[in-house]
Amino acid sequence: MQLTINGQQYDIDIPDDERLVWVLRDNLGLTGTKFGCGIGICGSCVVHVDGQATRSCITPANVVTDSEITTIEGLATINDAGDEVLHPVQQAFIDEQVPQCSWCMSGQMMTAVAFLDQNPNPSDEEIVSAMSANYCRCGCYVRIKAGIKRAAQEEETS
Amino acid sequence: MSEQPNTETNNESNEQRSMSRRRFLKILGIGTGGLAIGAVAAFPIIRREAQLAINSSFSSFAPAADMPESPFVWIQIDPDNTAHLHMPKSEMGQGIHTTIAQIAAEDLELDWEAIQTYHADTDIGFTQFTSFTFGSSSTISLYQPVREIAATMKQMLVTEAATQMNVDSDALNAQNSRVFLKSDTSRGMTYGEIIASHQGEWVLPDTTPTLKPNNDFNFIGKPMQRVDFKAKVTGRAIYGFDARLDGMRYGAVARPPRYGAELIRVSAGDAENQAGVVAVVIRDGFAGIVAESRSQAHAALAHLDLEWDGGTTWSQDDVDTFMSIPDENGTLVQRVGQLDAILRDNQSIIEAEYSVPMASHAHLEPQSALVHVQDEGTIVYCSTQAPTTTRNFVARAIDVDSNTVNVFPTYLGGGFGRKLGTNASVEAAILSQATGLPVHVGWTREEEMRYGYHRPPSKNHVRAVLDDNQQIIALEHTIASGDIMYGSPNVPNPDLLAAILGADPLALTSVEYGIPNLQVRYHRKALPIPTGSWRGLGTMPNTFAVESFIDELAHQADIDPLQMRLNHLPDNEFGQRMRAVLETVADASDWQSPPANHTYGLALGHLGQTIVALVADISVTDTRYTVHRVWCAVDAGLIVNPDGARAQVEGTIVMGLSSVRYEALTVQDGMITANNFGQYPLITMRDIPEINTLFVQSSDVPIGGLGEPVIGVVPPAIANALFTATGQRLRQLPLRLA
Repeated sequence: MQLTINGQQYDIDIPDDERLVWVLRDNLGLTGTKFGCGIGICGSCVVHVDGQATRSCITPANVVTDSEITTIEGLATINDAGDEVLHPVQQAFIDEQVPQCSWCMSGQMMTAVAFLDQNPNPSDEEIVSAMSANYCRCGCYVRIKAGIKRAAQEEETS
Repeated sequence: MSEQPNTETNNESNEQRSMSRRRFLKILGIGTGGLAIGAVAAFPIIRREAQLAINSSFSSFAPAADMPESPFVWIQIDPDNTAHLHMPKSEMGQGIHTTIAQIAAEDLELDWEAIQTYHADTDIGFTQFTSFTFGSSSTISLYQPVREIAATMKQMLVTEAATQMNVDSDALNAQNSRVFLKSDTSRGMTYGEIIASHQGEWVLPDTTPTLKPNNDFNFIGKPMQRVDFKAKVTGRAIYGFDARLDGMRYGAVARPPRYGAELIRVSAGDAENQAGVVAVVIRDGFAGIVAESRSQAHAALAHLDLEWDGGTTWSQDDVDTFMSIPDENGTLVQRVGQLDAILRDNQSIIEAEYSVPMASHAHLEPQSALVHVQDEGTIVYCSTQAPTTTRNFVARAIDVDSNTVNVFPTYLGGGFGRKLGTNASVEAAILSQATGLPVHVGWTREEEMRYGYHRPPSKNHVRAVLDDNQQIIALEHTIASGDIMYGSPNVPNPDLLAAILGADPLALTSVEYGIPNLQVRYHRKALPIPTGSWRGLGTMPNTFAVESFIDELAHQADIDPLQMRLNHLPDNEFGQRMRAVLETVADASDWQSPPANHTYGLALGHLGQTIVALVADISVTDTRYTVHRVWCAVDAGLIVNPDGARAQVEGTIVMGLSSVRYEALTVQDGMITANNFGQYPLITMRDIPEINTLFVQSSDVPIGGLGEPVIGVVPPAIANALFTATGQRLRQLPLRLA
């Protein structure tokens, strides 16, 4: 099976029905994508499939072989000097000191990035609506919202 | 250098204690050419009663006895000037690694950018209690010893620099991991350079240097950014579920249909022939699969031929009946005055009963561990709040000496008390031993929700008598709670257990009001369902009961609930601190003037020395309610990291609101009914109020923790606001209006 992840091609030998979260984590070692519930409710496992926020714990790997998959490891970029440049959402999550344990945060950030791509200038209610299917057990919701607002503002001014 | 045993007693003078602690500092042989110092010091500063109870309870399996040999924290500086901090506490989101780094950086004058933090593995030698992360005790137990180690290390570096630079040490200053001349700051040496040029043995100074005055702090009290966030937002941080080793395989374990059921017959069936299966592992009472992938391991479980016998057949009605509070006996936890006589002589007793159901910890990273058992030793990577317990349980399960097992704690994807458990590590060890391969066991959410342990259910009965001036002259609080250490094979001393192993031990004293006749009794309810530590232990149920009840009494007496509390503060320093916290939250919320169509509810609480008060602003539409804003005032003494502390308060309020709105586990036919978030939803961003956190700092040192204390005030504040809005007194979580 062939998968394109973070711009890189992978050729892997796995059972047809294996879910994407385990292919990423266990077969490819991309453990930044987290597992939380296995039924698509908690949102810890969100990745992008062709830019759409997608729950990898309920997505069979064989349905995304023709797609561009992006994980949290592929969110930052490398500048001309060879330094890592965080995505504005990642940077905003640091600036607002959003995470606590951070197990859910890959999924929160991937959900937020896909959302901001569609809606770069969201209202508070639109943020709540977009993010209300991602659990954070540490209870960082106030800061997640603040981080997304900050990222949207910084994008706008940059 | 050799170590002197700790022979000091507790009634020594401060000066002697300082001298004696001095003696426990150790220069540690790291073997890298660096300088490393650790220290042994005090016990976690929790309430003295709980401390004594736990100390004697645990002494039969020894952590108390071997504590003096355990370094508290290691600070190691290498010739490249990096300061490596080996933390004895688990980073589960509370920010403790950042807090310890701030404390160390302060008196050692470290360059913040040159600090590396690690969670120490068990071979480093932290013993049981030092390495436990629980009870909101990390900062208060580490603050003083880490400062003393840091100050000592700085003095050694300055003294050595004076020798190397051929100047008097009084002419030198230190900052940013560098020692330099006061008269010419360009002339100096980095700590790394001093260490690299050092000849011979390092010698500890005879006395602990004077610590920095608070006015000079550069790190303590400052909102330093978390040291772990770069790794976390890039997905590079490694948790137990992420641990990997070459050649690793994946394990899954058969689970009983009912709690307590025993595996009486087992055969491999056709499990061995399933795709990807590497081995079927059958031991006494245990059946597991090792496979090429997790999915294959779990799928093959269904092909085992298993017969289970016995176990509980209880359903929720049985639990509810069993939890009822007996009229007599129980363990007396607190007693003041002559309660029985007052209750006997008084006709008008006011009473109420409150209950809190079982709940899931619902940490989003399920239990997980990677274990490789080899002849030369066993390694365990896992997210745990109790590394040494894990080491001991793994060693016992595979019958090896615990000294041959090294546990590497990773970051934790949430803990909340659940990661004091060791199941996944033990299971992975059994499977690794049987196959000789590194085996990872990561629980599913279904396993976590059903086969972990749960928040103990509890019932709280409260009775009181008011005098003619509407003062509470007698109050009785009777608690019934499930265990916090269900089924633990380590449980010593059953008599003492009855006293402390409810949900209550660390909240221990339920009522801090100045009431002349007071009694708190505790009934331990040993359920046939696994229950265990859940954030704050008894803090939530006890505070829910007492603070709802004070509100009921206030309404009965027609006194403002804030005034009712102020009227009953104890006449001591704790009472003065309670007053300051109450007044702070009342001022900030403008307590007397809620917005139109909104109501306010107030609750006061504490855990250890941390005092908290919370005002909730709510409105009600039909049977639905919205929490618009909360104000939370907190006095935990000096706050090392105000932003991290604020995050703890915010997060605890959100977790409390999730319990208030949604969470209850029920049992049917001997098994938890819910198996995933579909039947057990958590709170989301949609239900989150504006949160205002206000710190009252009544001390210039940390005196209380912050991971748990706020959990208790959330339910009663909401329940009290709902009563004012609707006249309905809700005495059971979750709070649902009729």
